Amino acid sequence: MRFFVLKALTRGVVIDSVRRKDLWVVAILGLLILLSASLLGFFGLDGLQSFVKDLATSVLGIFTTIIAVLVSGRMMPDEIKNRTLYPLLARPISRWELLVGKWLGAVAVTWISFGLLLVTTSLALALFRVPFEPVMLQYILLKMIGLAMLCSVTLLMSLLMTPAGACVMSLILAAGTGMIVRAMTMAFEFASPPVQFLFKVLNGLLPQYGLFDVGDRAANSGWGPAPLWVVGALLGYAAVYSLAMLVLSWARFRRQAI
Amino acid sequence: MAKSIPWIPLLALIGAALAGMGAHRLQEPLRPATEVAGLNAHETHAGATLLGQFRTNISAWLWLRTDRYLHNGVEMRPLTDQELAAGQMGVGTSDNHEKDLHDDSAMRTVVPSQSEDFRGWMGDVERATSTYKDMTNHGHNSPKTALPLFRLMTWLDPHFIRGWTTGSAAIGWGRVPGSEVKMMAYLKEGLEKNPQSVAIHMELGSVKVRRQRDFRGAIPDFAAAIRYGGPNLEKLGPDDQEALQDAFRWKTLCHREIGDYEGKVASAKAGLQLFPEDSLLMRLLHESPLKTVPGQKTPDRVEIPEEEEEHH
Amino acid sequence: METTVESSAIQVTDLHVSYRTKGGQTLKAVQGLSFAVQPGEVVGFLGPNGAGKSSTIKALMGFVEPDGGSASIMGLRAGSLAARKRVGYLPEVALYYPYLTPIETLTLFGELQGLRGPELRKEAMHLLELVGLSESYRRQNRTLSKGMLQRVGIAQSLLGSPDVLILDEVTSGLDPIGRRELRNLLKARRDAGCTLFFSSHELAEVEMLCDRLLLIDKGHLIEERKLDDLRDQLREFEVTYTGGPVLSDWSEDIEIGEGGAVRVRFGNQSDLLQAIDRIHQQGGKVIEMIAREGSLEDYFIDTIQRAA
Repeated sequence: MRFFVLKALTRGVVIDSVRRKDLWVVAILGLLILLSASLLGFFGLDGLQSFVKDLATSVLGIFTTIIAVLVSGRMMPDEIKNRTLYPLLARPISRWELLVGKWLGAVAVTWISFGLLLVTTSLALALFRVPFEPVMLQYILLKMIGLAMLCSVTLLMSLLMTPAGACVMSLILAAGTGMIVRAMTMAFEFASPPVQFLFKVLNGLLPQYGLFDVGDRAANSGWGPAPLWVVGALLGYAAVYSLAMLVLSWARFRRQAI
Repeated sequence: MAKSIPWIPLLALIGAALAGMGAHRLQEPLRPATEVAGLNAHETHAGATLLGQFRTNISAWLWLRTDRYLHNGVEMRPLTDQELAAGQMGVGTSDNHEKDLHDDSAMRTVVPSQSEDFRGWMGDVERATSTYKDMTNHGHNSPKTALPLFRLMTWLDPHFIRGWTTGSAAIGWGRVPGSEVKMMAYLKEGLEKNPQSVAIHMELGSVKVRRQRDFRGAIPDFAAAIRYGGPNLEKLGPDDQEALQDAFRWKTLCHREIGDYEGKVASAKAGLQLFPEDSLLMRLLHESPLKTVPGQKTPDRVEIPEEEEEHH
Repeated sequence: METTVESSAIQVTDLHVSYRTKGGQTLKAVQGLSFAVQPGEVVGFLGPNGAGKSSTIKALMGFVEPDGGSASIMGLRAGSLAARKRVGYLPEVALYYPYLTPIETLTLFGELQGLRGPELRKEAMHLLELVGLSESYRRQNRTLSKGMLQRVGIAQSLLGSPDVLILDEVTSGLDPIGRRELRNLLKARRDAGCTLFFSSHELAEVEMLCDRLLLIDKGHLIEERKLDDLRDQLREFEVTYTGGPVLSDWSEDIEIGEGGAVRVRFGNQSDLLQAIDRIHQQGGKVIEMIAREGSLEDYFIDTIQRAA
């Protein structure tokens, strides 16, 4: 895998997204957050800090999740639909490099959007005199890692189904995995051994996107950052999971007629 | 110049805006009978538009978030039927306020403890990244901190009855002198938006009795709750049903406290017609007329709770 | 093992390509196709719609996996990275990235080719100038006309001075001036030793550019001709005369017009010259002599119909 190939592909995706005005939509969303936050001021500041932080992290989480899915879900289908894949793959690059480059491009666009939203959200928090705590740094770091993993999931989905289907499925996985895992932890004790085994397999297969969200710790007072080993574990998990998604994407795409 | 103005769409927009502004005038006469009894008006009346549904959902979400803030972010869930059948216990509370807001005797944390979690290291990671802690015999943050949220809930959805009743309790939390005036003002604002709400009428009467010992003044509020709720018992939601039952109890007690024996008996009988299993009403019905004398203390007399915090 | 046949610029041997339809059926696009293109040759690849031209080109570029047979470019397995490094490719229809400018498009493809820095920029600008886009190089692709986009495509295919150019429907979207410019451009590449292999529906372009043409239908090669030979074959000669001999033993294509004038057509020049001698010898009078180039279009249609 050659760095200059990945760099060229990533830069192409970023320029394309910036010019498409995708990021303008993000900026408008950010302004809406600011506006909503200033509206909340009518209800008094005492007692709202937790709520505002909670709202900020929730809104950030929801919007960036949607952006990650929409951006990475259209990467490969757009290449095929616009036939830009032909001149791309006519160049001496492998399909693996193309996939990784596109994934990196989607991750870069998602991270830029996240950064933009983060700036406006931080401004909104500043309106409420909410101090910036170290746990917020951890929130940002883990969120970025989680988003990268989600992009890889969506990329795989986009090669298996229609773009709309891929986006819906990825959003279901992003939002629904937590619920499924929750239901499994509740039912595990009362389940038969084969079902318990199935639960364990499912737990291993599903993308545990929710684990990367320390927003609740940031929103509620007195929690602080998660221990360092947790960050390491999540980093490792995201790396392995994303790699698995990319390998599966490649397995699907490498012999696909275009 | 005039030709360049898109008159038809412009007029259509103005028309739509005027119709929207005037729609609330139609809402009252058009509301179904069920709402008379204080059912969730926002979910049933013709004005339950997409936007209306959205703000209702936001209010419900805020309600759930408020509960989490009172638990300092720890997410709780009720025990499942299987867990209850297996004899499992909830985490329980060390304080006893806001029972309805978070009656935790049958609650446990959503994130399981390590011993109950099959997920191994992933479970450990979730316990470390989420707001998880062992909540056995836990306490709560002061509901006062959630006051702006109750205000926000009722602003977003004026028909969110719990926002009014629980918000009033949050205002009165700590029994700060003069707080009952604010509580009543808040509840009256709620009644302006929901004039036929069983729960708000009941709550207003309850504040008058508990905080001001104004038995005579509270009777019309309980009577209003009974008037709106009584004929529609089957259609009421659980909160309003409970509020209606409480209204009968409080009204019966109020009649007794002001020496109105006939009123007490009539109120108890009316209540028992709807709630035949209500042991408190039964006891009140069978108290001797002597016990209707104000200030009279006898061993079997049903006493009015004084020190307990408001509950709904 | 990348290397196969080193002498040919393009070598296709018993190539089979098929697709699976949504209904689960197998659609055979190319069936046992074999041909070779020598270095420096300009070869036109012709055939009706659905004949298998694009599928063959896709197999050459590695876009589809052949079911059987083999294909190589400059002795390297078709589709391999090494082979693609030596090929410039113009797809039939490509929108390119709509929000990139032509110079950014060329920079992107150039970087993927392994070029970089000021040299890449210089080459990109030079190519844009060659295809007539030097004034539009900062406009986003989505604002360019179809013809201008085709020029962007042609420019990108020339990046890195490839040994082989594979062009799918090369003149698509170009106006007559653009076609002439492109023709000149491709001739210059040919003169520089580049091998050109292109498909086209524009028979006039094929005629003006090609050394040889390959005609395929239903996945089979049905004709392979050098263009000079074909021109000779298609050329028609005609003489109109009065008096003199009847030439029915020379040609079957005889018409007798008003006033007894006889018009006779011949398939080659020597027959015509001998016929004129005979007319003169037998006292006839030649009114008109015509040498006419044959129609490639007629040949194309006749050949396809004959194969069918």
